[in-house]
Amino acid sequence: MKLAFMLAYRNLLGAGLRTWLNVFVLSFSFVIIIWLKGVLTGWDYQAKNDMTHWQIAGGQWWHQAYDPYDPLSLGDSHAMIPEVLNNLIENKIAEPMLYLQASVFPDGRMQQAVLKGIRPEQQIFSLPSQKLDTITDDLPIMIGQMMAKSMRLSVGDHLTIRWRDANGTFDAREAEIVSVFMSNVPAVEAGSVYISLTELQKMTLLHDQATTISFAPGHLIEKPENGWELKTFSQLTKSVDEMIQTKSFGQTVLYMVLLLLAMLAIFDTQVLSIFRRQREIGTYIALGYTRKEVVGLFTVEGSMHAVFAALVGAVYGIPFLVWQATSGWTMPMDTSEFGMAIAQTLYPVYSLQLIITTIVVVLITTAIVSYLPSRKIAKLNPTEALRGKLQ
Amino acid sequence: MIVILKSFFMKRCLFFLIFSVVTNVSAQEADDILARVDQNMSSTNRIFESGMTIKGRRTSRTILSKTYASGNQKSFTEYLSPASEKGTKMLKLKNQLWMYSPSTDRTIQLSGHMLRQSVMGSDLSYEDMMDDRKLTEIYDARLIGEETLDGRKTFLLELTAKVSDVAYYSQKVWVDNERFVPLRQEMYAKGGKLLKQTEMKDVKRNGNRWFPMTVIYKDMLKQGDGTVFTITSIVFDQPIPDHIFSKASLKQ
Amino acid sequence: MKKFLLVGLWRDKSRSSLPVLVVAIGVTLTVFMHAYITGFMGDTIEMNARFTYGHVKVMSRAYAELSEQMPNDLALASSSDWLSQLETGFPLMEWSERIHFGGLIDVPDSDGETKAQGPVAGFAYQLLGKEANEMKRLGLDKSIVRGKLPVKQGEALLSEHFAQKLGIEPGDTFTLMGSTMNGGMAFYNLILAGTIRFGVDVMDRGSVILDIADARNALEMSDFTGEIVGFSKEGFYNDEQAMLMAARFNEQQSTTGDVYAPVMKALSQQGSMAMYVKMSEMWSLYVSLVFIFAMSLVLWNAGLLGGLRRYGEIGLRIAIGEEKRQVYFSMIYESILIGFAGTVIGTFTGLFFAWLLQTYGLDISGMMKGASLMMPGVIKARITMVDFYLGFFPGMLSTILGTALSGIGIFKRQTASLFKELET
Repeated sequence: MKLAFMLAYRNLLGAGLRTWLNVFVLSFSFVIIIWLKGVLTGWDYQAKNDMTHWQIAGGQWWHQAYDPYDPLSLGDSHAMIPEVLNNLIENKIAEPMLYLQASVFPDGRMQQAVLKGIRPEQQIFSLPSQKLDTITDDLPIMIGQMMAKSMRLSVGDHLTIRWRDANGTFDAREAEIVSVFMSNVPAVEAGSVYISLTELQKMTLLHDQATTISFAPGHLIEKPENGWELKTFSQLTKSVDEMIQTKSFGQTVLYMVLLLLAMLAIFDTQVLSIFRRQREIGTYIALGYTRKEVVGLFTVEGSMHAVFAALVGAVYGIPFLVWQATSGWTMPMDTSEFGMAIAQTLYPVYSLQLIITTIVVVLITTAIVSYLPSRKIAKLNPTEALRGKLQ
Repeated sequence: MIVILKSFFMKRCLFFLIFSVVTNVSAQEADDILARVDQNMSSTNRIFESGMTIKGRRTSRTILSKTYASGNQKSFTEYLSPASEKGTKMLKLKNQLWMYSPSTDRTIQLSGHMLRQSVMGSDLSYEDMMDDRKLTEIYDARLIGEETLDGRKTFLLELTAKVSDVAYYSQKVWVDNERFVPLRQEMYAKGGKLLKQTEMKDVKRNGNRWFPMTVIYKDMLKQGDGTVFTITSIVFDQPIPDHIFSKASLKQ
Repeated sequence: MKKFLLVGLWRDKSRSSLPVLVVAIGVTLTVFMHAYITGFMGDTIEMNARFTYGHVKVMSRAYAELSEQMPNDLALASSSDWLSQLETGFPLMEWSERIHFGGLIDVPDSDGETKAQGPVAGFAYQLLGKEANEMKRLGLDKSIVRGKLPVKQGEALLSEHFAQKLGIEPGDTFTLMGSTMNGGMAFYNLILAGTIRFGVDVMDRGSVILDIADARNALEMSDFTGEIVGFSKEGFYNDEQAMLMAARFNEQQSTTGDVYAPVMKALSQQGSMAMYVKMSEMWSLYVSLVFIFAMSLVLWNAGLLGGLRRYGEIGLRIAIGEEKRQVYFSMIYESILIGFAGTVIGTFTGLFFAWLLQTYGLDISGMMKGASLMMPGVIKARITMVDFYLGFFPGMLSTILGTALSGIGIFKRQTASLFKELET
């Protein structure tokens, strides 16, 4: 067997250009398979990524009465920010937010909205909250692109906000939109008006109070204080995860198509080499190789393409894949119709499992694809083969 | 919607009825004015038929109803028209509210968070509607001037909340200086922004009192013509049998 | 000459059947892959179309302005007239009336008084009667948790979670309370036919699905509709077509200044779908391009190798006096024939597989725990015009290019040394 490996190795190297063309194409298939699968998974994970960056960070504490789907519950769903978190909040690892219901009046139309108080200096969300630090005559607010579009508002526009403070007293102020952001997370944008946390606390007489506390990824404290409920990252992303799971079935089909592509690259080479190398096969048999050994040799030779390809692929593929995963695949988009610049970046998601599975699966399938045409060898008549006569 | 206006109307009555806190000279005068208003507006109970005209974007419609009210704790309203609303009844006892619809034969209680929801798309919640505190408990009054309004001379009163849990931090009220009937009222946000305005018109003599038969209610932040509430008939201090204010009467 | 080459190809299977097979497989994969990706990426769009936007949607202009607030007071009048006009004007679409509303569900105790209640989002569809066409589109039957689908007027579905919270069983009566389109109070009794799972929290929290006739009765919306949604009979959203259709319809209505006149919006003209449509178009384009590139490389390689392997034959042909140029072009010619045959066969088989997956879909709902309304339960491919010619790029160009490249070697060979080469 060792001999077969040696021979296969020599044969491959001896074939020079042909081998390297094959190896290169196959290695390219490797990288493409992993990368495309990563992109597609990334597409599905995008929702989860967006949620992480815009809405839930690494997990949250919710005030026990908070129900995101019942705006009416917001009146009761706030409490003092637990003191144990002071340090984390100071270091911007935990982020308190206060939610309250309000009415907004753009151009004399009334619409319900949720006022969301956020610290302008926060760092765990992608929200451009620092813009809330703008000094304006009116209350600086920011809204999402979806809401801006449905209310036909843009940066610099003014609107009246009316809310009730902790005692139920009505208050109203003019506000100026200082920023319109785009998040791809409907829950973050729909009916939400962002203002500075301390401002909202002042406006509503809810000093030092919050509705939710979000923790930077990896910093979630799993034992909430009294009156708060723990919402872990996986609890908060449950429905997205279900969606991803569903979609992953769909990706299996794509994955298989991609594998077929790799196989096609080998199949062609292998069939032709057996067809063309009959004289060589005849020689092997004449030299005393059993047919089994010859089949083995050719199978090993075919499979070795995959091994070489994996090695070659690793040389340029690993840096490429790592670079993609970290800086993402950014697509320029014609965004004029959205009225703002959008850099759409997709981060491919590939697991180690994906890489290993791909390599193993490609190796096995190459072996099979190499073996299948090699069986023909067993049927060859050695003398005829030796003479190079076609059969 | 009708309920809100009625409640507004009731609050008005209350306001002029029981305002009594005196803190300075103008407050003393304000107190005198309110005492006179009181004679016009107050009653231990009242029965009235009213119409409310709601101007939507597309249509305008008028709802007629008959209301029995005793003090400020109990009220019972039956809708008379249009046909779709006819027979719908509403009972308010202290801080509880029930509605009955004849088409479904259901008595539905509104409670908890539901009371915070706006009543039929209006700007008042059921909770606001059920706030029964006397205005004297809530506001300090001060006479800040005299103005002519629609050809009538009025005292202008400024009310400022003296308790914290109040819907409107301050109000301005214009009171007719001969008849002692409020003619206009403005409600302000804590920050000073004008939120709502009511105008009382069509002041008529009813026995020994003057009474505004029309109230125009307007949300100042919203576009639109506001809602017109008109009393077609009203009687004061007539005995109302107690069974009216019971859940059983909803189904009758 | 052509015949000669064809016969040559036909007789020498190593020169014909294998390369054709490889090209055909490659093209099959490409075509299938593209159709699949288009379907896969478009999946979310279709789901949004089904539940919210339609492929196109007709509303009154005033309603369209505020459509997210479900302003039924601004609903479209003469709904049945408009529906039949749309059906005749746009026969390639299926049209359905829908009403969305917000309200309260109240569950009675034995005295008819409130036992439990909660806020609800209402969805009224054409579920019953001869115009019923939404049951299947929405996949309601697959998402039933308890009970059954409504079969007659007065029956409705609640989200399972909500029904549990209210403590209500199929067969029980509940009251829908809301606001009529005129602003009056609406009360309407319904019987719970069954419960469904949406698979999306916000919907599972409190939703009621009922027949549009019930909603019209409850909300006093006789011959009014919130919206008329249109779905292409093909079953897929085509942005270009939808935009054209909307432009055409709105052109016809442009003379009236009535704010309650209808306006048509394509899916991508609603909500934030424009961006989503664009994004998925873009991503599927790029993913397909990368795949096509990879496939081209494989086929190019195959062409290249095919040429290299015929070293001996070419040498012999040159040795017996054939013009180098002629040998070269006969090879190119062959590769055109091979590429063409492979591409045609591949496009055909690729389309066939894609068609299978488009028509029947891959039902994966069985692989998931409990089906739900808002999760794609069936994976579908989607054949677009592109699929008919897409295969030619990797199929023909790569094959020809590969051959052309490998054939360059022909010109480098010296006739004098050919026999020596051939001896080895």
